[in-house]
Amino acid sequence: MAKKTYDLLFKLLLIGDSGVGKTSILFRFSDDAFTSTFISTIGIDFKIKTVELRGKKIKLQIWDTAGQERFHTITTSYYRGAMGIMLVYDVTDERSFENIVKWLRNIDEHANEDVEKMILGNKCDIDGKRAVSKERGEAIAREYGVPFLETSAKANTNIDKAFNDLATAILDKFAGKEPGDAPDRVMVDPRRGDTSRRSCC
Amino acid sequence: MATYKARLKEFDAALSAEEVDLRKLKDLCFHGIPDEQGTRALCWKLLLNYLPAHRSTWSQILNQKRDLYKQFIEEMVIPPGEVKDDEESCRTDVTCADHPLSSNPDSLWQAFFRDNEVLLQIDKDVRRLCPDISFFQQATEAPCLKVVNSRGLRRLHRRVQHTVLNSANVERRGLGITKIALLVKKAQEDYAPMAEGSEAHWEVVERILFLYAKLNPGQGYVQGMNEIVGPIYYCFASNPDAEWRKHAEADCFFCFTNLMAEIRDFFIKSLDEAECGINNMMSRLSEQLRLFDQPVHSRLQQLELRPQYYSFRWLTLLLSQEFPLPDVLRIWDSLFADDNRFSFLIHICCAMIVLLREDLLAGDFPANVKLLQNFPPMDIAVVLRKAAKLSGRRNSDCH
Repeated sequence: MAKKTYDLLFKLLLIGDSGVGKTSILFRFSDDAFTSTFISTIGIDFKIKTVELRGKKIKLQIWDTAGQERFHTITTSYYRGAMGIMLVYDVTDERSFENIVKWLRNIDEHANEDVEKMILGNKCDIDGKRAVSKERGEAIAREYGVPFLETSAKANTNIDKAFNDLATAILDKFAGKEPGDAPDRVMVDPRRGDTSRRSCC
Repeated sequence: MATYKARLKEFDAALSAEEVDLRKLKDLCFHGIPDEQGTRALCWKLLLNYLPAHRSTWSQILNQKRDLYKQFIEEMVIPPGEVKDDEESCRTDVTCADHPLSSNPDSLWQAFFRDNEVLLQIDKDVRRLCPDISFFQQATEAPCLKVVNSRGLRRLHRRVQHTVLNSANVERRGLGITKIALLVKKAQEDYAPMAEGSEAHWEVVERILFLYAKLNPGQGYVQGMNEIVGPIYYCFASNPDAEWRKHAEADCFFCFTNLMAEIRDFFIKSLDEAECGINNMMSRLSEQLRLFDQPVHSRLQQLELRPQYYSFRWLTLLLSQEFPLPDVLRIWDSLFADDNRFSFLIHICCAMIVLLREDLLAGDFPANVKLLQNFPPMDIAVVLRKAAKLSGRRNSDCH
């Protein structure tokens, strides 16, 4: 295998209703670019970005999912392997906000118990069409004990911060729980969720 | 060039016969349909069983289907409560009639609101159809007159438009000057609705998908169907013949419906595990890869790079998101001409993987997922030739 260019590998997942901007958030984070015209995600998409936190190089492997119900059997199989999940709604779309509860329930059912979560209210640059106030976003995040940020992939607001915060939360837990463990032991198999098997990626 | 002219002649001959020899036509189409003279549009109509082999019956069938489509629009697109054009004068007592707050399960208004759920999803997706070309954002020459001249009332996207209250900041400065700052930042919308009297191609596609969902309530609308209807509609609506172009919407609706009859199982979650479902297609692909390229197959297995990471989309969408539109049209020529629907699709997917074998054997998990999810630009003829070879077709000279 080629020599490792990172110290830790974190698997993240983006979920939320269709059209809330999951792909745009990921595209902004990984390529620092924005386009308002994306094709809809069918099934699952994948991007990689390496960040540096506390002197450690952390490779983020991020899965982007399709929002519609039809794809849930496919996408939920990725929940198990995820160490962090970004739950995205659109501040101009009331329904996508109401569905946050449904998505949280999905996480409870399919993800590891100790998965780090974060709620993002995206498209906060659109002032004229806002349907969900920041206070409501904060309230639901408080209720479920999940960190919250309003983001804009278009204006590049809080996108890096969101990923950094989520990665830091995972790093904190990891550092506290398994000190001195080999880095690639945190790899989680997407299907079985056991943490013991080594992987070569 | 000479061979190309000869091919054109062959197509002309095959299509002008009183009874089109479908066997022969399929053989011709499998190797690619010429882009000229609307040949592709006509061939697809035959291959998708919209037009029968007997030319003499065409005009009657077309009239019948197009009338039927008009009827669908009248029944399903025009909202309840709207005064019909011809009965403008006679008003009924609204208290006993159907109304938006009616709790009667048979209420047309109840159905109207249920439909809007479906419409919401369709609307999001048709505005994301083929964004790399401008075609779908342009006005159609054949707008549905009943819809575009309705002061917006019959436009489907109007039903799911977000309405908001605008607020303004009031600033008070010295000397009693009050400044009202009304924030109106409006970005240029690419998929903007058109003015009264005209409509964009994406609006037409929205109507086709909505009618399909209404007529197939068990399945409804599933994301990705827009990517199936898109190339068919593009092919029909860019026909050089104005008469065909005029009826692109209706013709596309029926061809799309016929195609969906063959691939609809890929879109139904409860059939994922069934023999006809998408999981079985992915297993077939994986099995074929094992037969044709054992090392690549084992490499992907070793990396635990599962077929659903890439081939779910390939197969469900008939590769429409993997290649530029002209290449997709070319691929679909072969797919629609395939008797064993859609075993050639699996051969193409397998060829795509085999053509990347050197990279896949060298790459790690993330590099390989990325590569397979973003298939690199490649001459489509090379891919199809490889696929034909894998499928054991004798004549593998794909054009």
